[in-house]
Amino acid sequence: MGRYILRRSVQAIPVIFLIAIVSFMLMQAAPGGPAAAFNQNPKISQAQIDGWLQRWCLERNPDVVGMLREFGGWLGVYNCSGGGLASSSGMPNFLPAFLGGGSNGVLHGDFGFSIFTGQPVLGMILERLPATLVLTGTALIIWITLAIILGVIAAVKRYSLFDQAVTLFSYIFYSLPTFWLGLILIYLFAVDLHWLPAQGIINTRSPFSFNTPAYWTDFWKNPGPALVVIGQHLILPVMTLVAVSVAGDSRFVRSSMLDTLSQDYVRTAKAKGLSQRTVIFRHAFRNALLPILTNIALEIAFLFSGAIVTETIFDWPGMGRLYFDGVTNRDYFLLMGILLIGSILVVIANLAADVIYAWADPRIRY
Amino acid sequence: MTTEHRAPGGGTIEDIVAVPDNEVALESLSQWQLARRRFRKHRLALIGLFIFGFMVFLAVFGPLIVPFNPMFLPGAIKAGGDQPSLAHLFGTDANGRDVFAMTINGARISVAVGLFSMIIAGVAGVTVGAVAGYFGGWVDNVLMRVVDVLFAIPFLFIILVSSRFFGKGDVLSLVLIFGLLSWPLIARLVRASFLSLREADFVDAARAVGVGDRRIAFRHILPNALGPVIVAMTLLMASNIVLESFVSFLNFGISETQISWGNALANAQGALSFGDWWWAFFPGMAIALTVIAVNFVGDGLRDALDPRSRE
Repeated sequence: MGRYILRRSVQAIPVIFLIAIVSFMLMQAAPGGPAAAFNQNPKISQAQIDGWLQRWCLERNPDVVGMLREFGGWLGVYNCSGGGLASSSGMPNFLPAFLGGGSNGVLHGDFGFSIFTGQPVLGMILERLPATLVLTGTALIIWITLAIILGVIAAVKRYSLFDQAVTLFSYIFYSLPTFWLGLILIYLFAVDLHWLPAQGIINTRSPFSFNTPAYWTDFWKNPGPALVVIGQHLILPVMTLVAVSVAGDSRFVRSSMLDTLSQDYVRTAKAKGLSQRTVIFRHAFRNALLPILTNIALEIAFLFSGAIVTETIFDWPGMGRLYFDGVTNRDYFLLMGILLIGSILVVIANLAADVIYAWADPRIRY
Repeated sequence: MTTEHRAPGGGTIEDIVAVPDNEVALESLSQWQLARRRFRKHRLALIGLFIFGFMVFLAVFGPLIVPFNPMFLPGAIKAGGDQPSLAHLFGTDANGRDVFAMTINGARISVAVGLFSMIIAGVAGVTVGAVAGYFGGWVDNVLMRVVDVLFAIPFLFIILVSSRFFGKGDVLSLVLIFGLLSWPLIARLVRASFLSLREADFVDAARAVGVGDRRIAFRHILPNALGPVIVAMTLLMASNIVLESFVSFLNFGISETQISWGNALANAQGALSFGDWWWAFFPGMAIALTVIAVNFVGDGLRDALDPRSRE
């Protein structure tokens, strides 16, 4: 098992490297390039721009070698403050700092600074992470539970009224545009009925913004009501995510359950005279769980990045919203950082899915 | 006719040999004929096909039917627009534009983006998948790593960035962006079928009689691999229609000089908070209806073309 994980991890390295190239090229090819973003901010002096460009090995009109240098600088292979591939201590720049490597670049945890806010990119991402995890985590738990319950019942009572109703509703919700569903829910429950808040994660009149130190000191003074407020704001976005995702996943659970229900060992179990409950849960469901587990592992990557539509509609201060703002503001370093981290998480989730499958299914040899 | 000539089925050999030609033709339906037959039995798929056909009809002839120019801005503007009435079936928006006209005209761009991006993705995906699956080796390795990378980058992320940075606000650039980014799934499907089919006996036979590589790949293997691809392409069109509406809704897609369903929704979020539901409701319903219809068609196609995958 250990060797299998190791082999798969090694295979993932070229993919991750290619992802880094793609996210970098995307920003390079964009019209104007990173330097164009400065034109939007009149307060920056020429010296600041020059210093900033130098810090990241950026050039005004880079040739191929210049672009390689920029990529190396962003990645952390190249030392932008002179010295080429060697760090200031003379060791190769890509080594960790305690081994004498450099300090710039993604390899050293330095994702650059947001052009728009001037904050370090990694800090901005970490600041937004809690809100996203609260939203997607809650939604994921609810929708997987629902999808399994609905899917199993629909499969066991195949072609019943219940099955057909689940099928119909999953078709409808699966086809609804997520953002439009969100808009309609906001209209129904916030604008028309005044039951729930429309947007954000905390009250708009709150003196502190979410996940700042001031917010947390205030939060701990009176955690109960503060949690209730977050819960109220959670309901609509979670409903949106759950409605759309349960639709697809319950179909998946249903078909994988139907698959196992038609297997010989299930017929054998029935023929032995076991109770229906034992047959369904001990024999069929445990085997149907394998593909479902894999599917869940793939969806874990979504915890970090998947809620971009919902977060945009509900103005949820998470990663998706941050990415949307980055796209609007052409915030290159921020976008490159989120793209890279998001993609690496997908690669890890894929790896985890394969490992879980191999671990859970004794028939698989790896 | 003597008894020693009896065939196992009960009739005589002469009976079997003498079957009229037209009956033989009935017995040997081609794969595609069988598929068409199965598709016709799928009621939801037929309904879906009808609705989608209607949307395509609106896309082509819609502007001739609608009495209003969707871009027409009347001089007198009423804040918030008018409620749906007989004069304006779907109401008007804040600029006084007729929402019915916007919905009908939106079909043109939204359906076009979905349809043409699907075609581009199909051609690109089939080509890459066929080349990778047929030749294998390092070609396969390189192409599949590219596919891996495109799969790993969260799709919406890359679509948003590309539409914002490379889109020019017209249909063509969106079609190209969506088409050129959404082919990897199809490439994987085609490759997988090619990997198994290239070992099939009929391919060996074709090779033995001296058929060239290209002809084997596209005339002998591809038709047998096409079923799942057509299904995937249909579903891809549905998701690209939704994607267009989301990207245009965020103002990264179709520019305001034209009207797509997403575009028509762009100002609707503000309008909803004042209770003007009709701006958002009708274009959104049009998207939902089209996508449900296309998904039904895709489901029918799956049952028709890929009977083994039937639940």
